[in-house]
Amino acid sequence: MTATDPTATAEEPVEVAVPQRPTTFRRGKGLVGLVLVGVVVALGVIGPLLVPWDPYEQIPGANLLGPSAEHLLGTDDLNRDVLARLLSGIRVDLLISFGAVPAGALLGCAIGALATLNNVLDVAVQRLFDVLLAFPQLILAIGLAAVIGPGTTSVVIVVVTVEIPIFGRLLRAAVLRVRESQFVTAAEVVGAGRGHILRTHVLPNSLEPVLVQLALSMSVAVFIEGAMSVLGIGVSPPHPSLGAVLTTSLRYLDLNPLFAIGPLAVTAVLVLGFQLIAQAANAARGA
Amino acid sequence: MSVLTVSGLSVSFGAVQAVRGIDFAVAPGEILALVGESCSGKSVTAKAILGLLPDTATVRGSVRLGGDQDSPRGPVGAQGEPGEEGAGGRELVGAGEEALRRVRGTEVAMVFQEPSTALNPVHTVGWQIAAVLRAHRRLTRAQARQEAVRLLDLVGIPDPATRVRYYPHQLSGGQKQRVVIALALANEPSLIIADEPTTALDVTVQAEILSLLRDLRDRLGTAILLITHNMGVVADLADRVAVMHRGELVEQAPVADLFDRPTRAYTRELLAAVPRLGHRAPAAALPAPVDALRLTDISVRFKDFLAVQGVSLHIGQGEVVGLVGESGSGKSTLGRVAAGLLHPTTGTVSVLGGDPRTARRHLGFVFQDPGGSLNPRLSIEDCVGEPLKVHKTLRGNDYRARVAELLDSVRLPASYAKRRPRELSGGQRQRVGIARALALNPALLIADEPTSALDVSVQAAVLDLLTDLQREHGFACLFISHDLAVVDSLAHRVAVLHRGQVVEQGPHHEVLRTPTAEYTRQLVAAVPIPDPTEQRARRTQPADAVSIA
Repeated sequence: MTATDPTATAEEPVEVAVPQRPTTFRRGKGLVGLVLVGVVVALGVIGPLLVPWDPYEQIPGANLLGPSAEHLLGTDDLNRDVLARLLSGIRVDLLISFGAVPAGALLGCAIGALATLNNVLDVAVQRLFDVLLAFPQLILAIGLAAVIGPGTTSVVIVVVTVEIPIFGRLLRAAVLRVRESQFVTAAEVVGAGRGHILRTHVLPNSLEPVLVQLALSMSVAVFIEGAMSVLGIGVSPPHPSLGAVLTTSLRYLDLNPLFAIGPLAVTAVLVLGFQLIAQAANAARGA
Repeated sequence: MSVLTVSGLSVSFGAVQAVRGIDFAVAPGEILALVGESCSGKSVTAKAILGLLPDTATVRGSVRLGGDQDSPRGPVGAQGEPGEEGAGGRELVGAGEEALRRVRGTEVAMVFQEPSTALNPVHTVGWQIAAVLRAHRRLTRAQARQEAVRLLDLVGIPDPATRVRYYPHQLSGGQKQRVVIALALANEPSLIIADEPTTALDVTVQAEILSLLRDLRDRLGTAILLITHNMGVVADLADRVAVMHRGELVEQAPVADLFDRPTRAYTRELLAAVPRLGHRAPAAALPAPVDALRLTDISVRFKDFLAVQGVSLHIGQGEVVGLVGESGSGKSTLGRVAAGLLHPTTGTVSVLGGDPRTARRHLGFVFQDPGGSLNPRLSIEDCVGEPLKVHKTLRGNDYRARVAELLDSVRLPASYAKRRPRELSGGQRQRVGIARALALNPALLIADEPTSALDVSVQAAVLDLLTDLQREHGFACLFISHDLAVVDSLAHRVAVLHRGQVVEQGPHHEVLRTPTAEYTRQLVAAVPIPDPTEQRARRTQPADAVSIA
């Protein structure tokens, strides 16, 4: 301390407690979620290569067999190997989760961000979102499937349609909040244009909730796929999917209860994994 | 004998020691000021006394209420439960929630910083006072209502019988703080802890609240533990002062001794950093060929509210003009108009003879909140260099060199370029904000309360920096502040704004030392002088105080 020196008042602590970078995905929920999803992804990607059976092949004399060394999860009503169908089915669900959901998110965010630029457009888009959100997801799915027919494509379209208003609303709210921040005013004073402000200030600070919602929506997509299969408007036979395999198994619970275990376990693990990732990501936002 | 005895109190949050073993005592009817800058642990100390800290805090040491006394003063109410205390008073550290609840409000009460958040907006003030009364005493509704009226009268609220039915939003900030004080007084506590009771208020209101607190102490004999960072408030109110620094009690002395003969280095630094009114020779006026900023007959209307009416102001090149006023006077609105962020309803703005929107290259703006005005996702380098990027003046190595130069000019190490804003302290962030405003070598700098979010010592450093930079680069500056002393230390000319109108403007030494307008007189008189003898002398003869200069 240099008390005699009057300039000593100009001193201030040079070091500030620097917050650690969040280690959300290196421990706890985040890690477990990542591992669970990672296991399912690995099963879906390399699993089908390790199983000797073709998911569409009808094996003579193998009708509704229980688990055995030859058929680890048994066979179904059309004499196909359940494990082979399950592993191929995972691919379909991963396609929906990692394809349709980000596509819907991208579209929704783009629409939501554009809408904030113009008041008339904003009102129009908001009312459109209201209409879409007014339908429960499954009713919307049934309606769309009635128009475009069942199948993988319609599942993808339904998921995209469901996600657009969710992400649109989320991004719009975030953009409106961030737009009032002082650093945006600071950029305006400097003379920055709208594009620059949106790109460097508003969007990067609005994306946090979107990332959390992404993980959450992925788990919902798995659920939508399953529900649509059960309703008979999902992935159409003979193509496998988690929902399709599960739907078939439900009819034979009394003959072969173990039939349902495979698809149920994979669905549960996938949904739980996505949810844990979302929770961890959300917790990291507060940190 | 003392109302409160704190000995060896230490508080830690995990590995962080917020308070490191402090000792002090408050005598009955005494006002002890606990002074320190942010993070010095003064608020944590207050919360520890009342057991209001979160579970993550570890509290050690002892806090005793009413020690060295045979019969500790109980509440006036009739319930008279048996106290758990021994002869040495009641220990509050480690006491159970129920025991603490009985102490809070009846023996120790708290006055908070922000009166508008301390009151519940959906209940009338009478209801809130009655609720506090009935929590500790058996009173009927009518009795409680009557008592509430008496308390409102006690804290000087005019027409208390009507005001008792008012909701908080119907009262002004100063009246709300009076209600909060009435709440604290409700059960006649022997000690009031006032945590920055006037920080959120304007100077004239602050002066009223301070005289109320002093008056209450004189009439009721209530001891007050005053927590503040404002040395003027300390000089005005306190009997004794305890200075805290980084969780330790640096110095403890009667107020006059502390101000006259501070024994510790930190106290001396703290006192030296306090800006004082009228302690600087007037600066020479500069010749002004083209005005840097000229506002002509500006009015701004927000729906029914006329925020600024008919303000004319000009700033010559290289001139620093201070714009002072209390909250709601329209000073920030005027700043936004000058920066071209807001279109005036009527009147014209010209920056260097042109429209402010086209003159953005020659304009810098420093914001009040250094944290909020920096994008948390950009590095310091990008924050500072943003104007350069927007106007595409420099890129590549030249850009980095210019940013390094700017950081150097605000005395920040170049190694901070890669840091994020959150990795800097408040004062350092404000330096970054100043560096950004200077990036394009502006001819006009608009600073909107640039130091009001900072600690005194940091504020002094930032003001020094601004003065030096202004001398060096010769930019004109519109300096907006509510703090007269800060403006006085920096500005050539001062304009005083009141309810959207300029009531007085002129050279700073004339406006702030020999004010002619009635409002300016009040404003200058309300600023507590950080000198206990002078402040006390002024208080006894308030009428003459302004005209002596």
